[in-house]
Amino acid sequence: MPIPDEERFEAHLKQFRPLAPEPLPVAGSVHPARGMLVVWAGAAAVVAILAGIVALRVHTQRVGVAGTTNSPATPDLVADRGPLTMRSADALMVKAPSLKAMVDDMAFRPQTVPLPKDKLSAVGVLGKEKIKL
Amino acid sequence: MHRSHRNIAEIELLYRQQGSALLLFALAITGERSRAQDVVHHVFLNLIEKGSLRRAADKKAYLFASVRNAALNESKLRERTAPLDGDSHAAWFDPPDHDYMGEQNLRRTLGALPDDQREVIVLHIWGELTFSQISELLSISPNTAASRYRYALGKLRESMSTKENSCANS
Repeated sequence: MPIPDEERFEAHLKQFRPLAPEPLPVAGSVHPARGMLVVWAGAAAVVAILAGIVALRVHTQRVGVAGTTNSPATPDLVADRGPLTMRSADALMVKAPSLKAMVDDMAFRPQTVPLPKDKLSAVGVLGKEKIKL
Repeated sequence: MHRSHRNIAEIELLYRQQGSALLLFALAITGERSRAQDVVHHVFLNLIEKGSLRRAADKKAYLFASVRNAALNESKLRERTAPLDGDSHAAWFDPPDHDYMGEQNLRRTLGALPDDQREVIVLHIWGELTFSQISELLSISPNTAASRYRYALGKLRESMSTKENSCANS
């Protein structure tokens, strides 16, 4: 191919287009709209998890309150949730209107706290002693 | 944050617009496509990280200067001794009308030019920089840039015509 003058030769050279480079490594990952979308999705997920935890705790507290009101024991006795000892049995005796009511309270008291092996419960002690009424 | 996103978008646009010419310029210095690609990526990732492009008055010239500095530093580190056309299998250009022989001739002829002339040719023809911009980039006078260009263009013409004629005769 004959190349007559400088300008035509320049135009001929420009027909050879330089090859395009490979895409920038970060070009896809730093798109602003996509980045904001990820942030908002994360925030929404956190809010949903927190709301779930709060709802679960409120539900648990309501069930707990309902359980205590269904108990056959009187409210002031149920409030004392420690192990049944001689002292607490004496207190029960003072507060209870009759011996039968006191025994009923002890019988229906939930035994949630196990006693140590070397100690007896108040019912056990009362069962061994002779009480003069 | 919004400003940095705008800055990244501007840099990505410049990469799409100038990436090919910058890659060719880096190729003209390093002689290897993979090294030239690394140099161009390095320059643009630095720009995204530091946001230094906003301070440049002539962004295009600044990009070519950055690529030149990075390519020269990289070449110094590797202590290049091989001839520039050693990587003869990798194309530099997308040739017109599938003229792959012409592409090879152009690449070899460019590679045979002295470094300073090859830089001026690439910057003026494919980088589309003026002689004034080239003179600032290479720290030479505009007249020197123009005379280097004319001299190099004459050599290219002569060499490519000879090669094309010999190919046509054979």
